[in-house]
Amino acid sequence: MRYETVIGLEVHVELATKSKIFCSCSAHSYGAEPNEHVCPACCGMPGMLPIVNKRVVDYGMKAGLMLNCDINRTTTFDKKSYYYPDLPAAYQTTQWFAPVAVNGLVEIETSKGKKGIRIKQIHMEEDAGKLVHDIREDTTHVDFNRTSVPLIEIVSQPDLSSAEEVEAYLERLKTLLRYAKVAECEMAHGTMRCDVNLSIRPEGSSKLGVRTEMKNMNSIEAIKRAIEYEIARHIDALENGTEVLVQETRRWDDIKGKSFSMRTKETAGDYRYFPDPNVMPVVIDDAWFESIKASLPEFPEVKRERYITEYGLGEYDAEQITKSIALCECFEDAFAVCKSAKDAANWMISEVMSILNARKMTYDMLDLDGKKLGELILLVSDGKVGRANAKKILGAMFEDRDIEPAAYAEANGYVMSSDMGKVEEVVKAVLASDTKAVADYKGGKEKALMALFGRCMKELRGNCDPQALKTILVETIAKL
Amino acid sequence: MKAYTTKIEAATGKVIVADDMILTKEIPTSAGSKMLEGYVSLFEAEVLTRLAAAGYTLGGKADVGEFAIDLVGETSYRGALVVDGKLANATAQILEAGEAAAAVGLDVNGSVRRAAAQSGLISVKPTYGTVSRYGVIPVACSGETVSVTAPTVAECRDVLDAIAGHDDKDGTSHPETLCAKLKKGAEYAPVRRVALLKSMTEGIDADVKAAIDAACEGLKKNGVEVSVIDDSIIAASRVAWNILMSAELCNNVSRYDGVKYGYRAESFSGIDELYTNSRTEAFGELLKTAIIFGSETLSTENYMKVYDKALRTRRVISEAFAALFESYDAILMPACSTMAYTEAALKENKYLSYTENFYTAPASITGLPAVVFGGVQLVGAAFSENALMSVAEIMEKEGR
Amino acid sequence: MERDTLRRLEMLNQLSLTEAQKEDVISFFADREAELVTLEAIDTSETERMVHVMPIMTVVREDVVMQPFAREDLQRSAPETDEGYWCVPRVVE
Repeated sequence: MRYETVIGLEVHVELATKSKIFCSCSAHSYGAEPNEHVCPACCGMPGMLPIVNKRVVDYGMKAGLMLNCDINRTTTFDKKSYYYPDLPAAYQTTQWFAPVAVNGLVEIETSKGKKGIRIKQIHMEEDAGKLVHDIREDTTHVDFNRTSVPLIEIVSQPDLSSAEEVEAYLERLKTLLRYAKVAECEMAHGTMRCDVNLSIRPEGSSKLGVRTEMKNMNSIEAIKRAIEYEIARHIDALENGTEVLVQETRRWDDIKGKSFSMRTKETAGDYRYFPDPNVMPVVIDDAWFESIKASLPEFPEVKRERYITEYGLGEYDAEQITKSIALCECFEDAFAVCKSAKDAANWMISEVMSILNARKMTYDMLDLDGKKLGELILLVSDGKVGRANAKKILGAMFEDRDIEPAAYAEANGYVMSSDMGKVEEVVKAVLASDTKAVADYKGGKEKALMALFGRCMKELRGNCDPQALKTILVETIAKL
Repeated sequence: MKAYTTKIEAATGKVIVADDMILTKEIPTSAGSKMLEGYVSLFEAEVLTRLAAAGYTLGGKADVGEFAIDLVGETSYRGALVVDGKLANATAQILEAGEAAAAVGLDVNGSVRRAAAQSGLISVKPTYGTVSRYGVIPVACSGETVSVTAPTVAECRDVLDAIAGHDDKDGTSHPETLCAKLKKGAEYAPVRRVALLKSMTEGIDADVKAAIDAACEGLKKNGVEVSVIDDSIIAASRVAWNILMSAELCNNVSRYDGVKYGYRAESFSGIDELYTNSRTEAFGELLKTAIIFGSETLSTENYMKVYDKALRTRRVISEAFAALFESYDAILMPACSTMAYTEAALKENKYLSYTENFYTAPASITGLPAVVFGGVQLVGAAFSENALMSVAEIMEKEGR
Repeated sequence: MERDTLRRLEMLNQLSLTEAQKEDVISFFADREAELVTLEAIDTSETERMVHVMPIMTVVREDVVMQPFAREDLQRSAPETDEGYWCVPRVVE
């Protein structure tokens, strides 16, 4: 029998705010001492009241609009109760009744073409703390730095049907949320986490099979492996009766390449949601809503199209640059200065992106001042700095954002000689020192000219327009 | 139980006493619970900061029933306070002894108002959102308020003037323009017409009835029109409030688990036993019952039928009050059915002092202001504190 | 209330009641159950729920970091800490 897979995802994304969602503690726990970013509110002490961080709502709205959702203009917070050591107040404040965004749609592209994935809702909530199990054998250590860091949970409809689609969907979410600058979305950093709800059914059947939820996948690759494993396990159970499938939560073990049932208490799932009396409904008025709408970035496709039609870029170039908002911004800033979209794109793709690739950095990690890149491009096109030297300057600009290309070129002797008399002097000296090469060239060996050219360029430290040098070289030999 | 949990002997001048639900930095706050025995907060309640700024000195903390949910205060882990064979309220004892000018305390279920009525003191439960709850141990956040008790209306007015006002640290705080209506000298419409709720005068003790009658007489004598009306909706407050209060309480006290601070059981094996043993050993019987009841009102099965129904009933009650305020300026009702419970009576029905909040629940569930004087309670529209206090003041003069 | 419902509620709330208390709680529940008729008699079909009693405007805060509390103070009354962490018996994942 042929089966089809039905997958829905719950994706948690940490919002890139400075402070936590309900208190003013720092939201950046990475690299901090344990419990350094904690206050009475986020370690469960009584008496402090939750005050909503406006930027969390801004970002929740932005995420919703990026995923084509309807925004609930009155959005409310609710309490979800359960006991676990990473939850200091024994309740999580989340959104149950009126989440910030609902009814979205995300379009993905796979080998089978385009497909729309419906978004059920996006809700804002606080993260839990971290548990450390490897300090002492009998003890779990509790760190509340991450407690109350703002999250959005993006809940999809069960519209996905393969690991490939899941990957495309997650990549698409990443791109859109990074475009809107609301989140880092780096699974390796835990700023994007994904639970997979999966069931299978005979192809064409409308009845849903037994659904299992998988947690603990730390990369997209792990998610794909987990999905393949789980599909095989479900089919094996149905076809060969190897086990009876039950609705449960399973933990993925990426080292063993298997999923394991998580032991659940009989009270699990009874979260007793109720509206939080301490947080008034957040009412998003027209001015607030419009300001968020106005702050949205161009969608990647719109940008790509504009790069092609407005800037005259080729499809490949436009596609490459729009992979990341950081690349786009650098490109646009460079273009604004150098006025040549083709040059700017050329530099972005052949130089900037290859440096990122060589350094194993993601495109989003680009931290380069595009205006300065534009200045550098101008130095080259104006014949003031040679391309090879310009690459050296770019390398330095990656290390130090504050480098001014022109001043740096000057200070490091990368400025081209406009003194043609000096060039002629160098050429004469080189020709005089290698009469054999001159004779070879005159005897028809084109290669000999290249060798002489290389030696001249080296003497000039690269600071000469290659075309001008070649002309002078040929003319000088002819005069000999 | 003693009246004070901690007494600050050095306090002089205008002395204020806070009940043990109000967080203090230098001395412990226990909420009457073994769970928080010796717990010292890292920050101070906004009301105490404001009182200090207004020249008050903290004279100590008064004991409360566990998390202030019982009406009498007998469930403190330190035991009940018994004076002359009757159960007494710690705050009232301190005020009656003349050891403080006034007191602030958390009115969750009406214990503050009940104590004032029983002791002949004045108490003001302000409009929800006009006094900051920052630094108050949370129990039933949707309705509880910091209230003021004092021997005279003038003292209450001074304290209220000091503590009322907008606070950015409390997300349910009204803007300053509205809070200003509670301040001294603010304009108000005087109370001319009062309604007495008939359903609330049935089944009360003779001394409570006498207080109601005396209040009616005094009001009429001072030109206030008193009408007896019937209203079945407001009488439903108790059932709805018990549901909301218990559910919120269940959630708010779930944080006490023996991990971050507070009581931890001596013996346990594993995390669940640590939680269960700590809570079981540290919490009293009434609190446990309320937790379990509150939890069940929120279960998937009961949510719509019980919790959601109580939330909708709350609106019906609020609208009923609003309708009454079209015709009347304030509603007169008792603050309790019995002036003083005996320990024996509470042994017989140990939930009496939790569920007999028939008279205090209407103002708790709606957040409306209430002033207790002469053993009775006057409930007004939002921000009508000055009008209610002026009635109390007239009656105060009448009583002299 | 059923006995196993009570058992579930005890577990859910991390409490363990004595036999005598269980009897008390069951009678408490019976009283509350009986009172529900008071609410059922009220027509709320056209009524929205009321979570907040006053129409207070939302107060949101700007995204600014403040870190005024020191860890050692926060852990001053902790039953058990180690190397800056709060400690619990090992939680098996």
